[in-house]
Amino acid sequence: MPVITVREALRQALHELMQDERVFIIGEDIGHYGSTYGVTAGFLEQYGAERIRDAPIAEAGIVGLAIGAALVGMRPIAEIMSVNFSLLAFDQLINHAAKIYSMFGGQMHVPMVLRTTNGWTQLSATHSQSFDVMFAHVPGLKVVAPATPYDMKGLLRASVADPDPVIFIEHTLMYTVKGEVPDEPYEVPIGRSALVREGRHATVVTYSRMVHLSLQAAEVLSREGIEVEIVDLRTLRPLDMSLAIESFKRTGRGVVVTEDWQSFGTSAEIAARLYEYGFDYLDAPITRVNFREVPMPYSKNLELKTVITVDRIANAIRDALK
Amino acid sequence: MGSDDGPPALSAAEALSAYTVMVQARAVDDRLWQLSRQGRAHFVITSAGHEATQVGMALAIRAGHDYVVPYYRDMALVLALGQTPRDLLLHAMGRAADPASGGRQMYGHFSSRARRIVSGSSSVGSHLVHAVGLAFALRIGGERDTAVVTSFGEGATAEGAWHEALTIAGIQRLPVVFVCESNQYAISMPHHAEVPVADVALKAAGYGMPGEVVDGNDLRAVALAMRRAMARARADGGPTLLECKTYRLRPHSNADDDRRYRAAAEVDAWRARDPIGRFGEVLVREYGVAPAVLAQIAGQARAEVDQATLDADAAPAPHPATIADHVFGTVAGAAPRSEDQRHA
Repeated sequence: MPVITVREALRQALHELMQDERVFIIGEDIGHYGSTYGVTAGFLEQYGAERIRDAPIAEAGIVGLAIGAALVGMRPIAEIMSVNFSLLAFDQLINHAAKIYSMFGGQMHVPMVLRTTNGWTQLSATHSQSFDVMFAHVPGLKVVAPATPYDMKGLLRASVADPDPVIFIEHTLMYTVKGEVPDEPYEVPIGRSALVREGRHATVVTYSRMVHLSLQAAEVLSREGIEVEIVDLRTLRPLDMSLAIESFKRTGRGVVVTEDWQSFGTSAEIAARLYEYGFDYLDAPITRVNFREVPMPYSKNLELKTVITVDRIANAIRDALK
Repeated sequence: MGSDDGPPALSAAEALSAYTVMVQARAVDDRLWQLSRQGRAHFVITSAGHEATQVGMALAIRAGHDYVVPYYRDMALVLALGQTPRDLLLHAMGRAADPASGGRQMYGHFSSRARRIVSGSSSVGSHLVHAVGLAFALRIGGERDTAVVTSFGEGATAEGAWHEALTIAGIQRLPVVFVCESNQYAISMPHHAEVPVADVALKAAGYGMPGEVVDGNDLRAVALAMRRAMARARADGGPTLLECKTYRLRPHSNADDDRRYRAAAEVDAWRARDPIGRFGEVLVREYGVAPAVLAQIAGQARAEVDQATLDADAAPAPHPATIADHVFGTVAGAAPRSEDQRHA
């Protein structure tokens, strides 16, 4: 099977999706410039300005336009280059996209996808945030955050095929991550987690970029005789906790790793479900690894104290085993 | 600094001082891009090409009196308002002594309470509403002779917050001068793909305020238009939308490659109209300044930036123990329970 990057996997999926005349892409700098992270490079030349739409800096306008087009049967893929600026479109996403199907009594769907990125690297307070929890909190929105090239391609296809609005979360530090991806079209179903590493001492529940860091921490611990099992949630809503709970029942130790602030964050929901459904199997308090609760600092030394490292994950797993 | 409504007859001293700041700003900009290529400043953003607009604006602003709500492009403006190359290098290198934020904010997010420069976020156009709020408070507080200046690129005029700011300022006739530094590109997107009309200034009509197009590469033209707008604001004549047509001579930031969206010939044509060279010629021709004096100013600027770089390089990074500083304020007498910091 060919080994390609996350960027290439997304490009493959988008090329396949563009074969459907209902699909179009709209966002800032996505046409002539080929997008900030190079995902749509060459698309304008291949598919034309009608279907590859450069948009002005108007996030609410981009998302609102996608909603309107989706209502009449198009399959818009809107891009907001950084999730930080999706805040300007939150009314469109939460008061509109998430609720139209319900408010219309099921008469009209909003089959749109919003592609956006989490990520950081000395981009400071308003360029380095994660709002996964804010999207996933809202009934009516589906939230997908894959970790591998294979899942990126398969889940993007499933997201566009889905009748509901899907927030598709990429990561600026993952575009060059490589993995096996079949050439042919395929879908990975939304709402299914995956077991990415087997082990017997502790269960790590995570998603997106933290899957890769957790795998690295697992390798470190393996040399100490500790074998951890890792579950990649892949989708936050609908949230599939079945594999995580099954694993937790075997290990009795849980560690949740999410790249966001701890208070009221995704790790709180995940840990709550482990407690709720695995209470009788609990051998130790569940530990969590998250960002420090400060606006992301620019200064490199402070930033490295704020973000999650392999060491911090390994230490949290050791704590869970005490 | 001169009369508010008279012609922009800059004195020789004013003209030389304005030129010095323009040259200094370019020297800082050159250095920032070097540092970025060397990996010593992670993120930099340019003001090159905007110097006449920004220093011209400053000629109508009373630093520390009028409020300024700038955007990320305004390095020459904050220099003209009294920040130093050293301040800017500390900011770009994220040092503890960075006067904007102690190393918290990325470069281009300027602030100084003493100079009444108000910090903004990275969301384009969202700071204009704060300028409106400042003006609102000044009016309530009876500070009649204080005006508020806010600036942005033409790309920002597509944002909802831009429209809301001008709407409120127009209805309430607030003392705000909105300055569009219209440089023809919003990252990769040319003016016609961002703005449905040829001039941003035309939009002013929809908000009940005058709009004016100015040659943003002509320092004196900008100063004249700004003084008129500021005089109107201070005289309770309401807001103004000023569009300074200019061109940025470098990519938007060190994260984009402008060769992918504009022709080298176009950039070269604008380099030939560089506002600094242009004003230098005015100094020689109309003010009788010797070319050797201009060369001396350039040499001094480079030396000052060299020293500022050494200072910033040697300055300590923020101490890890300060990581949670300034997240929440403290209330005198109250003893809140501390946040859980297990993973500190």
